[in-house]
Amino acid sequence: MTPAQRWRIAAWLAFVAACVVVIARTAFTTDISAFLPRSPTPEQQVLVEQLREGVVSRLVLIGIEGASPETLAQASKRLAAQLRKHDDFLSVDNGDGTGSAADRDFLWRNRYLLSSAVTPERFSAGGLRERLEEQLRLLGSPAGMLVRRILPADPSAELLHILERFEGQSKPATRDGVWFSRDGARALLVAQTRAAGYDIDAQERALALVRSAFGHTGASDAKLLLAGPGVFSVGTRAAIRGDATRFSLIATALIAALLLAIYRSPRVLALGLLPVASGAAAGIAAVSLGFGSVHGITLGFGVTLIGEGVDYAIYLFTQSAPGISPHRALDRIWPTLRLGVLTSICGFSAMLFSGFAGLAQLGLFSITGLLVAVAVTRWILPAFLPPGFDAPALAALVPGAMAAVRRAPALRYPLLLAVVLAAVVLAVQRGPLWSDDLASLSPVSRSDQLLDQQLRRDIGAPDVRYLVVIHAPDVQAALQASEAIGATLRRASQAGLLEGYESPADFLPSRQAQQNRQRALPAPAKLRANLQLAAQGLPYRREVFEPFLKDAAAAKDMPLVERSTLQGTRLALRLDTLLVKKDHGWVAMLALRGVSDAQNIARAIAAPAGTRAVLLDFKRESDRLYQSYRSEVLRNSLLGALAIALLLFASLRSPRRMFDVLAPLVAAVLVTAGVLVLSGLRLSIFHLVGLLLVVAVGSNYSLFFDRQTPSGEGRERTIVSLLFASVTTMIGFGVLAFSKVPVLHDIGLTVGIGAILALAFAAILSRRDDARR
Amino acid sequence: MQDLSQVKTAKGRFVERKYLAILNAPLQSSGTLTYIAPSRLEKHTLLPRQENLLLEREELTIERKDGNQRRTVMLQDYPVIWAFVESIRSTLAGDLTTLKRFYEVVLEGDERQWRLALTPSDPKMREVVSEIRISGGRSWIHAIEIKETGGDRSVMTITRDDS
Repeated sequence: MTPAQRWRIAAWLAFVAACVVVIARTAFTTDISAFLPRSPTPEQQVLVEQLREGVVSRLVLIGIEGASPETLAQASKRLAAQLRKHDDFLSVDNGDGTGSAADRDFLWRNRYLLSSAVTPERFSAGGLRERLEEQLRLLGSPAGMLVRRILPADPSAELLHILERFEGQSKPATRDGVWFSRDGARALLVAQTRAAGYDIDAQERALALVRSAFGHTGASDAKLLLAGPGVFSVGTRAAIRGDATRFSLIATALIAALLLAIYRSPRVLALGLLPVASGAAAGIAAVSLGFGSVHGITLGFGVTLIGEGVDYAIYLFTQSAPGISPHRALDRIWPTLRLGVLTSICGFSAMLFSGFAGLAQLGLFSITGLLVAVAVTRWILPAFLPPGFDAPALAALVPGAMAAVRRAPALRYPLLLAVVLAAVVLAVQRGPLWSDDLASLSPVSRSDQLLDQQLRRDIGAPDVRYLVVIHAPDVQAALQASEAIGATLRRASQAGLLEGYESPADFLPSRQAQQNRQRALPAPAKLRANLQLAAQGLPYRREVFEPFLKDAAAAKDMPLVERSTLQGTRLALRLDTLLVKKDHGWVAMLALRGVSDAQNIARAIAAPAGTRAVLLDFKRESDRLYQSYRSEVLRNSLLGALAIALLLFASLRSPRRMFDVLAPLVAAVLVTAGVLVLSGLRLSIFHLVGLLLVVAVGSNYSLFFDRQTPSGEGRERTIVSLLFASVTTMIGFGVLAFSKVPVLHDIGLTVGIGAILALAFAAILSRRDDARR
Repeated sequence: MQDLSQVKTAKGRFVERKYLAILNAPLQSSGTLTYIAPSRLEKHTLLPRQENLLLEREELTIERKDGNQRRTVMLQDYPVIWAFVESIRSTLAGDLTTLKRFYEVVLEGDERQWRLALTPSDPKMREVVSEIRISGGRSWIHAIEIKETGGDRSVMTITRDDS
């Protein structure tokens, strides 16, 4: 070992040690933030916040099924009672009415401040007459049974008016006093966690509480169903963790077994894995330093690095022969290897510059990993190879492989046909070729999404799609703007543009509105006179409305409703989700229901001076987000492909050789895409990235096929090493195709197919064997 | 009462009087009542205002002619109203099993002249209604009297319309 080699090895060891130190301090995440934009628009910001920490992110939907309704109802009551004891839940609702007493009490006490119907006209003699006649009509109907008792204190029906604002929000059916699905097969509960949805550890604790509490309900034969964002993120994390570990182990074991079978030396096996291990450590450390944390998916992707990184060592091993020192062997293949690595890096750069944090991490990880792996192969590995190293078993493979390669060009026309067919398939399928749904990126499985939808429908949980978002400098401005826009929405709902809306001003009107309502109530003597006039000729007993006169007089100078007045009610929780303090002012949100004409609503909405209001369409916004990802990834991929082409041209300096290198790659990409589409898949961003990686990885193969080798034996070695390398790549990526996490599955499947095709096509289109034949 | 379960469809006129503590005169309404076995009951109030009440299985629809209001509610969501409408429908259907789900039932008299006394078994219902008395003969109901907890009561008399 020369002194220079010693220095290199020392530097490498120090580098690996530094990486290990960085990794030891790294935070690993699995939350949805990887699927969200890094530089969002203000609308996307709201979307992102809602997804990360909004009330929607805290919901746990609970179903209990598989037993008699009585057992299910009993289990629901016991489960709710258990969970309500825990601090981890803000609320647990199962329809048994717990908590709603405080709500009703709040609405009843403050009805004259909360009701938007309170105007001077309503309490004039004429206005009251109208109300009294309407009440008489109600008394005659079946509903009379319910209004009768509050009528003496509320003849103008303010409580009814307030409650009607909440009507139309569908409620689950009730059975034995608790919520049930319509068919009675499933008892339903809704819990809200204290922790935000992105806090997966806290969500996991909360879910564990639900499961253990359910275990104590005694309903042993019943089944517990859980859904909601927290459930998903906990499940996803487990899936990613499981997949990352499992598939890394499987791929490593398979590749190690392959290395061992061919080289029959544990030492060579260890050497083969050295570049990969160093690369993976450097990749994780780089992502940790660059992004502050490492996403679980990035780790899962590390598997692919094994498949690709181990190739470098394989090229070195196969090129070494007894007569050739490892250094000389390496010098011979180095230009080709270097070019291969550079094209791979061009490919991965497309991911690095993505606005999609998850992909950017994968890009950085792969580029760093490959650079380090190739550097270790170039400068460290030869020092460890025993002098006179040879790969004996490889020789046995040579005749077969060479025969296959020589026969391969016969398949040119079938290949051409396959490419044409694939192009036709892609051209015809143009419409639904791409999946347009952000959900296709979501790591949540299809069956879990369906369960979530089912429980949501059963419970009637609002499927919030449209939200009016108001930005205001202070809380009163936010509430006043909510009231002004609320009035617009009421008109719009009379015109049939929407069914209804929920506004923070429903629970907490602006001070101005409350004071206006206090002023609208006549003085006690005046109100008494108005009432007397109004009741003339109606069959009400004279003294019946004394409670009303007393309450109205008290309301005129009662303290205004503040946020603190709502303390202890469930409405406080709803208010907090609709009215949020930000660094610079306040944000109020109005949730719309049953929207039929979003365009006209958006046009009608006008924010008062000093505030800003937008109608946010979650579906459109997230679709748009997805489409912008897709077009960005598409653009980056094309740039990456262009960079690869330029790089090849600069190195090969021959259009003809460039064609030889590129043609198999283009064919592999087209046929792979055609196969994916034919198997009924809609292409996602991940497939697109996978196709780019086919180019990046496959270019190594066609470069080596194209390489001018002086001797026939060298060429034979090259071809065998390529075969071997593509098998390890296919193992690395192909194993991922079995993952349930879409990003891993899609990329793994695409590259697994594409890598093998690229090698086969390179052999088929290889010109040098023509000449020889 | 068994005779009732033989009835496939029946129609009658009703007059309902409600005696309420907050009013100094009874509220009177009248209209027609139609029953179609086994689960449909229609109450068409004609005076003083048109209002239709349609009960079909577990769905109750209320229609008001003035203002064109129409609302459908699932009875499961309103247990008190459910118990109340079931007292009439199940009696018309001769369905003692369903009646006993909601009430303690006492049956007196003979088939020509019978009286049912129903006491709600659900505590929530008991807060509203203390007793329902239904009298009839053979396959028809003559009168329904509802006593409410607060002292209010209503009496509905029905004459069968065989035309």
